[in-house]
Amino acid sequence: MTPNLPPVTITGIGSVSPYGALAGLIPQCALEPTSITAWTTAGLRRAFLVQPFRPAGVVPGLKTRRLDRLSAWALVASSLAFKDAGIDLCQMDRSRVAVVFATAFGCVDLTEAFYLSAAAHGWSGTDPSTFPETLPSAPASHVSMFHGLRGPNVTVSNKYFAGEIALIQAASLLRHGQADLAIVLAGDALARTLYSWYEVAGLLSPACYNSDLLSEAGGFIPSEGIAALVMESAKHEDSRSNAHTYGRIHSGRWTAGGQPVEVMRQMLGDFVPILTVCSGNGAPCATSPTSALAREICGDRTVIILPQPVALGLAGTGALFHLILALSTRPTNGQALFLATAANSGFAALLLELL
Amino acid sequence: MLSGKSCLARTKDLYPGFEGTTAQIHELAPLPKTFSSRYSRTDQLAVVAVADAIANSGCDRAIFRESGVVMANTVGGLTEIDTGLAEGPSEWYRRPGGLLRGTSYPFAHVADAVGAHFGIRGPSCAISVACASGAIAIALAADMLLDGAAPMILAGGSDPLCPFTLSGFNSLRALDPNPCSPFDQNRKGLNLGEGSAVLILETLAAATARDANILAVLRGWAMNNDAFHSTAPQTQGSGLADCIRLSMEMAEISSDEIGYVNAHGTGTPLNDIAEANAYETAFRGRNSPIPVSSTKSYFGHCLGAAGALEAAVTIMAVCSGALLPTLRLTDPIESPSVDWLRGKVRRQPLPLAMSVSSGFGGSNTALIFASGRS
Repeated sequence: MTPNLPPVTITGIGSVSPYGALAGLIPQCALEPTSITAWTTAGLRRAFLVQPFRPAGVVPGLKTRRLDRLSAWALVASSLAFKDAGIDLCQMDRSRVAVVFATAFGCVDLTEAFYLSAAAHGWSGTDPSTFPETLPSAPASHVSMFHGLRGPNVTVSNKYFAGEIALIQAASLLRHGQADLAIVLAGDALARTLYSWYEVAGLLSPACYNSDLLSEAGGFIPSEGIAALVMESAKHEDSRSNAHTYGRIHSGRWTAGGQPVEVMRQMLGDFVPILTVCSGNGAPCATSPTSALAREICGDRTVIILPQPVALGLAGTGALFHLILALSTRPTNGQALFLATAANSGFAALLLELL
Repeated sequence: MLSGKSCLARTKDLYPGFEGTTAQIHELAPLPKTFSSRYSRTDQLAVVAVADAIANSGCDRAIFRESGVVMANTVGGLTEIDTGLAEGPSEWYRRPGGLLRGTSYPFAHVADAVGAHFGIRGPSCAISVACASGAIAIALAADMLLDGAAPMILAGGSDPLCPFTLSGFNSLRALDPNPCSPFDQNRKGLNLGEGSAVLILETLAAATARDANILAVLRGWAMNNDAFHSTAPQTQGSGLADCIRLSMEMAEISSDEIGYVNAHGTGTPLNDIAEANAYETAFRGRNSPIPVSSTKSYFGHCLGAAGALEAAVTIMAVCSGALLPTLRLTDPIESPSVDWLRGKVRRQPLPLAMSVSSGFGGSNTALIFASGRS
């Protein structure tokens, strides 16, 4: 991201998560995984799950009957984020509003359903209404359709940093003048096929099998949900008298390898952030290197906020939750580093100004 | 393609009961077994295309070490999965190779596979925006270059034929059982294809400085969304017309300067009429009708790869001045502002050409290429 271009601001937050469907910051409270009941399991299986809710109860008039859960959540989270930002889309030029969505697995519920319909009726007898809803980009398309957003619409992914990349790409679209405002979403839903993969791969935490264990127990507790941020160009934010700014994104980078310390030092210059928010890719092995990298770059002069399990459980799409949960701790205003590392020296980093 | 050869052929074996027309790659260049066992067919197609692009660049592979990778696809690892996974996932994963096959499912895996295969360690991401994916990958890669995210970016798309998508399009009754005829009044639908195309992008300044063989210059690009329907385009094509206008504004050119449009042109009744309407709006008032063709009549609709493949065809057009006709176009849609290319290859100087892509969910993309010699 070109450092000398104007920063972009975060002015609205919405989320659908195990905490519920919320506009704005997520209240600080500990969360325990809950039992999986959506499919039959061999004994107790737990995860951080979004509890079933009626989308139209949160966003009046919303119709989600044929949609994948991820699409329905995207509609709810985006609506809540616009509400939190105080934006009346009817008053906006909606051809100047972009949608950037990050997902690792896309619409897994309906992909499973499509396979099951093929198993039951053969590939010649699949359901035409299900197929388009299996596309990874379906949630972003529905956000555009529901809100009438006619700007760029992009769905991105990366094994480790999908959420961070969505933030960086949205900031890039705003800075290049391809949009005045962007709704950025990141998240995934848990389905049987996904949970089973984690289980057979031996990645699950003992807390997934035993309700007496704390969620902090070692290992991976899968999670689900979607978070949405409203991002605006500085010029657009200035034109709104009611804009509340959570933070400004000054720059961002990610790589798949190389020398993260060198690159980060180039990015920061002499600057030392007051706060470093550690993200992660969900694997227990990624959390420790991320905080170690933060310590190596910033020394003892930065406060490190470690990732919370509910966001870690979203693997590469947890970034927006990592950020929202960190903002929910009401940190001191000032410059902050938002950092994630992965295996093989890959990393993603954003430089933020908290307001 | 210059000789008018189409890759479309009768196909029967893609799933029980399927009989239709597709463009299938029967012999894919073999990869070392250590790689091929980890790669889905989507990954393999991408790796072959990247190897070709690197070879075509004449550069040593090491030069790409710090490059970025932006790879589009819609299918991901669905080629490696069967219905048994949904019926009993735990048992399916415990079969030999099951976990590994499941690992390739996320659509991000293609970008990772390309990065790992070629030792590329710059910024890497995957794009999935239905049938506009490949073109959007190129547009986003261009933005990333301008942001200084990497010195070079390998950008493109890859998608294979698989029962999942073939069945999906079949259920929507979108397939023409015979070779498709885009923009014809009697068109009956699309044919699916498979493939991959990858462009090596760098800033003009960097390419000039290293005296690179510049094939083309990406002069303008734009992306937008119809915000209209999950599968149908906006009938009047106004979203696509806006997208074309935005790309020309970025390139700072008038519509008269575009010499050729490589259309999305799927051959479905709804897409082609909406697209023709978009060209009427975007190119009305030109001094002469805009030459347009659909090269999906040669290699079918390659979904997430389509936008990248057609960008490559457009680049070949500006390089050679050869404008490919739409095959099997006998009775074109009436559109006074459009010069439907059909019959023989037309040869003319072509300073600027446009590649247009659209997709389910309403996404549109327009890319404008100038000849590298200019």
